[in-house]
Amino acid sequence: MDLHYSGTERIPVPRDKVWAFITDPKSVGSCLPDVIDYTAVDDHNVNATVKVAVGPVRGTFKFQIQLQPSADGNHVGMNISGGGFGSVVNLVAGADVSSDGDVTVLDWQGDATMRGPVATVGGRVLDAQANRVITQTFANVKSRLVGESAAPAPAG
Amino acid sequence: MSTTQEPPRHALGLSMKRKEDPRFIRGRGRYVDDITLPNMLWMALVHSPYPHATIKNIDSTAALAVPGVKAVITGKDLEGANLAWIPTFHGYDKQMVLAVGKVLYQFQEVAGVIAETREAAHDAAQLVEVEYEELPVVANPFDAKTDKVILRDDRENKTNHIYHWEVGDRDKTDGALANAEVKIQQRLWFQRCHPAPLEPCGIVADMNKATGRLTMYMTSQAPHAHRTVVSLVTGIPEDKIHVISPDIGGGFGNKVPVYPGYVVATAASVILGVPVKWIETRTENLTTTGFARDYHMDVEIGATKDGAITALKVATVADHGAFDAAADPTKYPAGLFGIVTGSYDFPTAFTELDAYFTNKTPGGVAYRCSFRVTEASYAIERGMDLLAAELGMDPAQLRLKNFVKKEQFPYPSPLGFVYDSGDYHTALERVLKTIGYDDLRKEQAEKRKRGELMGIGISTFTEVVGAGPGKHFDIMGIKMFDSAEVRIHPTGSGIVRAGTRHQGQGHETTWAQIVAEELGLDPQNLLVEEGDTDTAPYGLGTYASRSTPVAGAALAMAARRVRERGRKVAAHLLEASEADVEWKDYKFSVKGVPGKSVTMQEVAFAAYTNPGPDNEPGLEATYYYDPPNLTFPFGAYVAVVDVDRETGETKVRRFVALDDCGTIINPMIVEGQIHGGLTEGFAIAFMQEIAYDAEGNNLNTNFTDYLVPTALETPEWETDSTVTPSPHHPIGAKGVGESPNVGSPAAFVNAVMDALSPLGIKNIDMPLYREKVWRAIRDAEAKT
Repeated sequence: MDLHYSGTERIPVPRDKVWAFITDPKSVGSCLPDVIDYTAVDDHNVNATVKVAVGPVRGTFKFQIQLQPSADGNHVGMNISGGGFGSVVNLVAGADVSSDGDVTVLDWQGDATMRGPVATVGGRVLDAQANRVITQTFANVKSRLVGESAAPAPAG
Repeated sequence: MSTTQEPPRHALGLSMKRKEDPRFIRGRGRYVDDITLPNMLWMALVHSPYPHATIKNIDSTAALAVPGVKAVITGKDLEGANLAWIPTFHGYDKQMVLAVGKVLYQFQEVAGVIAETREAAHDAAQLVEVEYEELPVVANPFDAKTDKVILRDDRENKTNHIYHWEVGDRDKTDGALANAEVKIQQRLWFQRCHPAPLEPCGIVADMNKATGRLTMYMTSQAPHAHRTVVSLVTGIPEDKIHVISPDIGGGFGNKVPVYPGYVVATAASVILGVPVKWIETRTENLTTTGFARDYHMDVEIGATKDGAITALKVATVADHGAFDAAADPTKYPAGLFGIVTGSYDFPTAFTELDAYFTNKTPGGVAYRCSFRVTEASYAIERGMDLLAAELGMDPAQLRLKNFVKKEQFPYPSPLGFVYDSGDYHTALERVLKTIGYDDLRKEQAEKRKRGELMGIGISTFTEVVGAGPGKHFDIMGIKMFDSAEVRIHPTGSGIVRAGTRHQGQGHETTWAQIVAEELGLDPQNLLVEEGDTDTAPYGLGTYASRSTPVAGAALAMAARRVRERGRKVAAHLLEASEADVEWKDYKFSVKGVPGKSVTMQEVAFAAYTNPGPDNEPGLEATYYYDPPNLTFPFGAYVAVVDVDRETGETKVRRFVALDDCGTIINPMIVEGQIHGGLTEGFAIAFMQEIAYDAEGNNLNTNFTDYLVPTALETPEWETDSTVTPSPHHPIGAKGVGESPNVGSPAAFVNAVMDALSPLGIKNIDMPLYREKVWRAIRDAEAKT
């Protein structure tokens, strides 16, 4: 089952801060919805354990996330692969980064491929769930960035 | 239920309550999952999420660390025991038990985990880490046909094409179709569906290392055949294998094949020396065990302008999944699809079929159907309605005009069968009268004026069941006879054993009735036992409506042998010569001497206490029956539906099913069989499909996506019957279990298409989901 998603987040935070955040595996790992645990492996890779509940498929899925920032600083690719309970999920996502005045714009899109029980739950449930996961991830990126920029700089 | 059958005799034709029901309705049945043996372990299977992938590595470390886990078995382990592959049903192909090298369909079995508890086995199965590398997927037989991706590199022929089969006169049929004044041509897809028995498959395998005997308690519709297959595959002598098929919660063809779970649990028991139980989950049953149908059929019918049929041609593309595991007799790769000429007298016909491998679950079982008869029946009954529409002729009139006539029986069909008996005109005329056909057509005409969608659908099918004559029918060489043993105790009760195995058909009652009728005994006191290979005579099992036509005949013949032995004892008791003793009015009497008689009960007692000086004591007999021909039950069904134009919802307003299964043994059980089969036919027509997406994901893996109708959805069934006995069956019975599943899908679809015909809609493939119907209505309305 292949699914396609896209969306835009407008973040009122300077572009360099946004770029630093979305290319940092630890920051991205922390923005996954229902994340239980995440470990940055190196500068581009993070392993995450996520709670999943799609129809009868309930439990924890393990994901490997690889970030692929472009050299020109305009695009970051993201490969997410993993699964659990006999299911496999692959997500190829990416975000184009641009500026609109003081606002940084993330134009993102993602293609998900599912195998196993999770794929058989049926489009009506799965589509909504996968959409929620991706949308929530980018929404979390935004809220974290906005929250951080609003918060006072840490002392020292 | 009205019937034209003669008044009931001693035991035949009685609506006796089912002897097996008291234990079932009180929850006292004994199914495989009720069996618990000392030291028993549990098995759970690991399944592939990919439909087509290379297996790079299997890591069992984490699974083995789960407390209570005893072993993890993979295909490589089975290779060592030469059990990684087993032959498929008819022996023309082999199938993997646990995947070796690669997986060929989603949910294919990859490993078995053996543990002390069911929970530990299932938990650990989730922890077996299998590394896959995806391969391109072939998700339908038309892509398979291109051979761009070859699925079965283990086979000598590097092609996805499995076989070509044909029967009939191609040239004559093509010629007749080319010259036909009127012709229809339509592709019909009988979708992939699943028998979905409420009890899934399971086994308790118990290798007793002290006795060297392997006992297999398993959900088997064919215990003897399974014993033989296990012996041939494992090399264990057949006397060391004991198959017990306890109560079965529905089979419908699903429990005929040998599945990997049975083999892996058995291998585990052999290795570990303790009993191992495996019980499928619902998802495992729907995703890995035998599906049914999946035939894409191109139907062509030629006729004259006035509606006389001239030729039939059906070309089929069959999707067999990853292995050729279709449950068909060895010499009939497309089963009995040759019945596709149905109840009609075609001057010429031709049918051909090509089967292909795809990345889907293997199967092709006879889902309440005698080997592809349902597909054939659907093709011809839909075809006749399409022809009627093309001709502008009433579909009932078209059928009456072209039926094989009563006096034409035995009727040699153009595709090679010899129909034993039938009276199609009487059946259809009777059912049309019962339902008030002419008034319904008037009502329909009125409703059409108002834009309302009402439809009437007819299906006048002929089945072919009772496989089968040993000269034509075998499974891996074993002839498809069946057997019975009748043993009468001194007090006139007895035990009856047969090579069949019921799964709800009522054999414990009907078998007793057959024997009681032949011997004048009380059917209540005849215990029927099936399913234990140590005690039952060898038989090929229960499927394809073969029990009554084959084992039912064996029962009557075994009882008649008992009667002949009883005649000798009776002659001794009556002090008459054996030649003067006759069996009349259910007792032995001396010809010409009124009042001098003995009952079978008296004879039974004498057989053990005073058999006579020259007579062998005891009273029992065995009979192995090889039928001379198949039997040909038939029926006339009419469905009346109302389709909601706004929602696409179909309401089945009335359904009258007239069945003719020859002599009726127990009218109540026959009626129950028909109710059940109609409900399944209704489900197939409106709600059941095992669908795959383009990537080979199975989309109907549980009962929220694969629907089984409840009392809420099920229409009310009206039944009726005529009785046209089979001339070659000892009691004239033909078999009935499958007729309603075979005959009803076409009646439902014909009714809905009739309702939609004012919109110019000719065909929608099943299942007729309301969304599909709604879209078809919307599309049709958009064109006008």
